[in-house]
Amino acid sequence: MSKHRLGELEEIVLLTVAILHGEAYGIAIVNEMEERLSRRISIGALQIVLRRLEKKGYLISEFGEATKVRGGKRKRYFTVTNFGKQTLKDTKDQRLSLWNAIPNISFGN
Amino acid sequence: MKENNYTSPPIWMLRFFRWFCHPAFVEDIEGDLHERFALLIEEMGLRKARRRFVLEVLLLFRPGLIRSINLFPELIHPGMLKHNLLITYRGFLKDKSTFLINLIGLSTGLACVLLIYGWVNDEMSVDKFHEKDSQLYQVMTNFHGPDAIETWEITPVLLAETFMEMYPEVESATLTSDRYLPEGKISIADQSLEANRIFADERFFEVFSYELLEGNPKQVLADQNNIVISEKLANKLFESTENIIGKTVEWGNAFVKESFQISGIFEDPGPKSTRQFDAVLHYDVVLAASDRWQLAWNTNAVETHLVLHEGTDIDDFNDKIEFFMWAKNPNRKTNRLFAQQYSDKYLNSRYENGIPTGGRITYVRLFSIIALFILLIACINFMNLSTAQASRKMKEIGVKKTMGAGRKALVWQFLSESILMTLLSFFLAAGFVTLLLPQFNAITGKELQWDMDPSAILSIALIVTITGLIAGSYPAIYLSGFKPAAVLKGQLSSSRGEHGMRKSLVIFQFALSVIFIAGVLVVDQQMQFIQSKNPGYSRDNVIAFQRPRNNDDLDVFLDELQRQPGVLHASNMVGDILTGWDDQGGFSWSGQESDEKWIFKSPKISYDVLETLDMNILEGRSFSKELQDDESKIILNQAAVELMQLEDPIGKRINHNQEPREIIGVVGDFNYGSLHHQVKPLIFRLNHWGRDILVKIKSGDEQNTIEQLEQAYQKFHPDYAFNFTFLDEDNQRLYEAESRVASLSKYFAFLAILISCLGLFGLTAFTAERRSKEIGIRKILGSSVWGIIKLLSTDFTKMIVMGILIALPISYLITRTWLNNFAYKIELEWWYFAGTALMTLLIAWSVIGLQTLKTARLNPVECLRDE
Repeated sequence: MSKHRLGELEEIVLLTVAILHGEAYGIAIVNEMEERLSRRISIGALQIVLRRLEKKGYLISEFGEATKVRGGKRKRYFTVTNFGKQTLKDTKDQRLSLWNAIPNISFGN
Repeated sequence: MKENNYTSPPIWMLRFFRWFCHPAFVEDIEGDLHERFALLIEEMGLRKARRRFVLEVLLLFRPGLIRSINLFPELIHPGMLKHNLLITYRGFLKDKSTFLINLIGLSTGLACVLLIYGWVNDEMSVDKFHEKDSQLYQVMTNFHGPDAIETWEITPVLLAETFMEMYPEVESATLTSDRYLPEGKISIADQSLEANRIFADERFFEVFSYELLEGNPKQVLADQNNIVISEKLANKLFESTENIIGKTVEWGNAFVKESFQISGIFEDPGPKSTRQFDAVLHYDVVLAASDRWQLAWNTNAVETHLVLHEGTDIDDFNDKIEFFMWAKNPNRKTNRLFAQQYSDKYLNSRYENGIPTGGRITYVRLFSIIALFILLIACINFMNLSTAQASRKMKEIGVKKTMGAGRKALVWQFLSESILMTLLSFFLAAGFVTLLLPQFNAITGKELQWDMDPSAILSIALIVTITGLIAGSYPAIYLSGFKPAAVLKGQLSSSRGEHGMRKSLVIFQFALSVIFIAGVLVVDQQMQFIQSKNPGYSRDNVIAFQRPRNNDDLDVFLDELQRQPGVLHASNMVGDILTGWDDQGGFSWSGQESDEKWIFKSPKISYDVLETLDMNILEGRSFSKELQDDESKIILNQAAVELMQLEDPIGKRINHNQEPREIIGVVGDFNYGSLHHQVKPLIFRLNHWGRDILVKIKSGDEQNTIEQLEQAYQKFHPDYAFNFTFLDEDNQRLYEAESRVASLSKYFAFLAILISCLGLFGLTAFTAERRSKEIGIRKILGSSVWGIIKLLSTDFTKMIVMGILIALPISYLITRTWLNNFAYKIELEWWYFAGTALMTLLIAWSVIGLQTLKTARLNPVECLRDE
């Protein structure tokens, strides 16, 4: 399990794809992240993470329909795979177990 | 409506994106880009959106998203590459001798290029390490004498400060000097060391970037009592560089002995600095010791360095300062100033008519050209051997073309073969260089080492690729042009052009070799001539050394030297006879055509110097102690007598700064200074206080005499080591640059002819092999061995003779130009060139002869049986 560690940006992108559930393509992910986290990333930065996640098997992608708005180019929709979901859960559990291990005294309450 | 409103992002940026993006990702990312652009326009308007868009695209340029770097996908197909390598490998195995010839040729060629590249690079970087290098200038003085312009490095002391006040272009200025105060010793409580010191003013460490380990560059020389010492000296004195700031040391010689406070430590000036020093003292120390006479505007005493503001037009600035000295001193109309870039001085240190006209840069250029030519000779071997062996590749090319291989693919195959060859040679060359580097450093006096910084790696990669391309281009174009039908039938259309090309390449190779050899021969003869030319006096068995301190007891000291049994003469002078730096103006004589003041070469010597150096006294006598000669007596050389047009010079008077001087003798012309310069009019002045001692000793028992001298020296200077030199050895050092060139070019000429002969060897071997059947038949029909040798070597002989004929006039011109650097030079004799020609021919013949003899003696049965 410890082998599959997610980077910070990777984790956020993976979560955003999960949130968008079936509607996750490049710009939608950028916008969603901007809305929720006030964090704007360039298309380049996002694409490189998406391709990496796809290569590692956390995501799969397929082309959608062509629209006129995008200069006639098709969208590529990303979906989280089961393996991706599992990794997300593992990551969350790890974090929680760490949180739970913090003695109360260190945060003052 | 919405579609009409749609604004497309900058189309050129999209094109760029489509070009670099991996094909699998292009479509959806481009869609995203469009969408993003639309959003951006809404957000920030068109103009800003465009700018952001460009940024977005640039940010997409990442390793994970760009297509794999394959500009010629049809050429660098992995499968093809593997195939090409295999074919190349088999080719090497099949024809080992060609492979070896190419390997040796190219690797020696590359080794030369690498060595010379390192040397040139090093030469070019000397003195360039200063942060303000591009703004750093030195003020030079052009002395406009009546017959010639002389260029001096030195200027008045006040110049630096005055320039800073007067000219807004001058950002900062400093002065440096290592003259006037003799070398001294630096000492702490129990230790005393000789230290190479310079004097400078407080701005020295701001103007020059000598790194300070301790101390603030602005303040280390703020006070006259400060001393800044080098790391090396600090380690010698204190065995550490820590906690020594503020410590007191004594520095002194016979004139000054004072305490100084260490205010800073600087990193030792590395080999990239022409200025080498262990300690820096304030120039005020010199001023205090010299009674401030140096502050006068008519005394040139120090070097002045300027930092000009960025963007200053140096020509304009030079126009401004040219007549500066005239304004300061009407007598100095003759002294005109100009600023030369400081780092430029190292390579351009020869001045003709007041303009820098070369110096080391000549050798830098010369060797760069030599290296290129040697590499070219090696490349030509590769070209010739590859094209000559076309018949071996015929079938391969034919089959490949029939199967649909394009010309491009074939070109690529041959190019990859040559580049691989070059790469292999490079590794061998790197080995050679590593082995030879210490030797090379010894010859050139450099401290080169393998220094793998990115720029060096890049240049080496470039050298290897270009070499591969040059070597491979002609064969690639030639071989790939075969017509498949013809070559498969076995007809090699040996066109006249191809044969002519190969011939002219061989001619070119040998022409170059001949030029190299002739050059080396002439350089060698000239060096021997210089070393042995009679300078007009005798340097044999003359020992020179400097007294470290005041000369109050000079007479006693000289007497002591004179008393040693092995000593013939002992005398003293100011400066030395070999560098010839002592000039003096202010002489006037009756019959002088105008009131122009001539500058004479004018060494200050004591009694007995003429005898020590065995000079030829033509008329009159030498300076004499018995007759109590004093400063009012002078001795001229012949050139001076001719200049002054004196009929009967002995007893005549001339004036020096209005004081009368009596001519008591005339010596024959001799070379004061190196043979680069003509003999100039010279006036010996009498000065009894020079600290440079010359001792003529008897030959045969030098070792003992030197020991005696050392003992005498120690008696008078117990603290100082007896550092002496022989005058004839010093003389050789004057021609160090030329000697280095001479010995280096010998190696290079040897390599040039070696590589050329290797190529010739390969070609002859191949021709002989191809014609082996013909030879067999000829022998059966009764041809003699000699006849066959003649048959095989006529062609080659013609080429070589042609090369020699082309090279001779060129080498004559080149060597004559080089000889013009010397005022005294050998005549170019016809036999230098005839000898070179003959030698080249003999070497070439022996190479061809060996090969053809082998073939000619072959039993015809051997070559005819397999058919």
